[in-house]
Amino acid sequence: MWRKKTETKIKENKKETDIFPIKLDKLEKILKREFNNDPDLKFNQYTVGDKRVAVFFIDYQIDSDQVQKGLLTPLVHFDRKQLKLSIKNLQNNLPLSTGSTIDKLEMILSKLIIGEVFIYIEGDNETLSYLFPIKESRSLEKAETESLVLGPKISFTESLAKNMNIVRWRIKSPDLIFEEFKIGTLSPKDVRLVYMKNLANDDDIQTMRQRLQELDVDEVEDAIVLKQYLEDSQTNLFPQFDITERPDRFTYGVTKGKVGILVENSPSGFIAPATMFSFLESTEDLYMRWQAGTFLRILRFLAMFFSILVTPTYVAALTYQYAIIPTQILISIGQSRAAVPFPPLFEAILLELILELLREAGARLPTKVGQTMGIVGGVVIGTAAVEAGLTSNILIIVVAMSALASFTTPSYLFGTTIRLIRFPLIILAGLFGLLGIVFGLALIIIHAVRLTSLGRPYLTPIYPLQIKDFNKILFRTPFNHTSKRAKSYRPKSIRRYSKEDANKTRDID
Amino acid sequence: MKVDVSIQPGNSIRALYLFFIISSIQIGVGIIGAPRFIFTEAHRDSWISILIAFAYICILLLAMFWILNQYESADYFGIQVDIFGQWLGKLLGTILIVHLGVSFFSILLTYIQVIQLFLYHTFPNLALSILIMILVLYTIFGGLRVVVGVTFILFLSTIWLLFVLYDPMTRMNWYNLLPMFETSFPDLLRGARATAYTLSGFEILMIIYPFIQNKNKAKLPTFLGVTFSTFIVLLVMIITIGYFSAEALEHIDWSLLILFKTASFTFIERLDYIVVVMWLMVILPNLVLLLWAMVYGLRRLYKLPEKISLWLITALILILVNFFEYGYEVFQVTDIVAKYGFWITYVYPFLLIPIILVKNKWKKRQGSGSG
Repeated sequence: MWRKKTETKIKENKKETDIFPIKLDKLEKILKREFNNDPDLKFNQYTVGDKRVAVFFIDYQIDSDQVQKGLLTPLVHFDRKQLKLSIKNLQNNLPLSTGSTIDKLEMILSKLIIGEVFIYIEGDNETLSYLFPIKESRSLEKAETESLVLGPKISFTESLAKNMNIVRWRIKSPDLIFEEFKIGTLSPKDVRLVYMKNLANDDDIQTMRQRLQELDVDEVEDAIVLKQYLEDSQTNLFPQFDITERPDRFTYGVTKGKVGILVENSPSGFIAPATMFSFLESTEDLYMRWQAGTFLRILRFLAMFFSILVTPTYVAALTYQYAIIPTQILISIGQSRAAVPFPPLFEAILLELILELLREAGARLPTKVGQTMGIVGGVVIGTAAVEAGLTSNILIIVVAMSALASFTTPSYLFGTTIRLIRFPLIILAGLFGLLGIVFGLALIIIHAVRLTSLGRPYLTPIYPLQIKDFNKILFRTPFNHTSKRAKSYRPKSIRRYSKEDANKTRDID
Repeated sequence: MKVDVSIQPGNSIRALYLFFIISSIQIGVGIIGAPRFIFTEAHRDSWISILIAFAYICILLLAMFWILNQYESADYFGIQVDIFGQWLGKLLGTILIVHLGVSFFSILLTYIQVIQLFLYHTFPNLALSILIMILVLYTIFGGLRVVVGVTFILFLSTIWLLFVLYDPMTRMNWYNLLPMFETSFPDLLRGARATAYTLSGFEILMIIYPFIQNKNKAKLPTFLGVTFSTFIVLLVMIITIGYFSAEALEHIDWSLLILFKTASFTFIERLDYIVVVMWLMVILPNLVLLLWAMVYGLRRLYKLPEKISLWLITALILILVNFFEYGYEVFQVTDIVAKYGFWITYVYPFLLIPIILVKNKWKKRQGSGSG
């Protein structure tokens, strides 16, 4: 995957580069040919004083008001200034920042695309160019996929400049570094490696930098795709970097010494390294008081287990080890299952599949119709399935609880993993009973222990054990106990604030 | 073959994990059936036998640490080659690997038997072995870091089983332990020897030691680990003595599981089913550590690549399990391990000490003679 870029590709693109000096008509012909007679490529010719000048640009990529005011008007009236028309004089006299001079055709072509305006004086050896880009983007909106009750509402947008602006305003420190990378040979995309210079671990930065540099792909579609290219293991089930659309979650990771990535045209950034617990962590835990924060975090953790285990346990208990169910419940389960002709395995998979269908349909449909979907699923299919004798009442409760629990995961990607894990576990439970579940659980544990994120263990602080980090990652404690950063992420400096000052207590009165 | 092992820093583990390694490898299938064997020898004073065994193991561990400290960072295989020379050293190393292998096999067979007895009477040995070997192989392919990690996390996720013992504890009869100190001393020693199979496994220390990052701190976690597992065996022993009558206990094979059988709650009944399947997580660290030690030893001795030896051993095990159908055959394997393992685990390290002493003296004399 991370092959070095080959030199040959660059050579292929080399065409007749040194075309200057050239007649204006000929230049126009060349440009039109390169752009396949694109009508949006504007090539304007003026005569200023005794010289002929061409101004060319792509219409929809530039801000035409600005070009009119800042470039065309002064240019056309240039001869009034009694100056000789040359690139140097233009650079000095146009009310713009110093433009750049370019003499290679391929450079001109690639810069035309990103919204530069070129001036060429006939007979010169180079062109002068100014950047007047116009980039359409939507305005900032509320976070949709990761909504919170408390805390900032803003979310990233598709504009990299806006995203960087948000991040920079959230971390007002000269230590914050945006390192630039271009990813993709077909259509290069701007990528920024974001980290705190005196906080983030050098190895992490270096690893990420190297993976970015050695990535050789034609194009990355989105930050989430780039994330998959950069992850440690492709075969593993679990997401290895933490993707988010919330700037607060992003900067929270960066200020704890992690490394972030922002990608052009993508409304999400991602944070590395991640641990299994960082996916269950929500910034809302911080905005709550610590007792509630701890409660919610543990609740989510239990919900994950619950969601994975409850349906397989139902299948295992009803197929093989029904003796573990207390007698009273066993009677009511028996009554409700009396009409069902299928084995529990088939019954459970059927219902779980219906639920997944509903969920998928709800996600694809427009919001207004989506609400109807929920009602159709919950009331019509649920009740009808029981009355038709397809499933038992108890299983509906079990499946609904497991779905509910899986919705609590703050990370949508991790939630999807949990959804996925359930199915093999249900089948194992149907084949081997409780033993199958324990087998599956052991397999998941081994799977997670083997996993690394950016070369760091996935299950830290549990393994490798860092007991002092428990109150930063697994639960929350009052702030005077969190005077240090989590050691698991190996930041360069671990101290956040003075512990003595935080512990200072006043006497009564 | 080099005597000392050099480990890359990324592959080493903290001394802290020795606690979990030692106690995990000691608590396995042995403890399910151990009370009966100890009880037939030492009767109601069995708990004294366990304490005697504990004291003996502590001395043994001191001896092991003494041997290990004679070298920079060596393991059993290196030390044996250093003492006995290439040929004999390698032979002894091979015997050690065979010992680990037979222990592995006996654990696997015993667990399969328990599963067949409690859950699925006709579950074929081969199918169950394949399931377990998938887990074991998947772990070992991750390297020592994963082996230790899995040991550690499975230890944490099965420790709650101890609390279920509270239920039989409330219903036991403390008077069953009285009168105390009635058993003769030789019987107590015989009882102590009956714990050999249960409490063995700590010899892994002699193999894993070079991988420890902070070797000067290795002693405390090791001793705590042994103390913890002895405590569990002791607890189970006392509860079994109090719970069952003396006549019954001499005939109950899997007394620990029977203890769990009586525990039940309003939301769950027949807890023994859950305990039996959870026991997979208890024996998995045993199997993983033993098999890792075997393939690592084979690489040390014969430079056999770990991936090849792993598949070879797996194939051998999957063939051999099919030949053990009945309970008494499994007991025979366990007996063999208990009998021969006793000498390898409990006696052999003491024999090394005088040899090392003599050798050191001889080396010194030679060194001063030439210099």
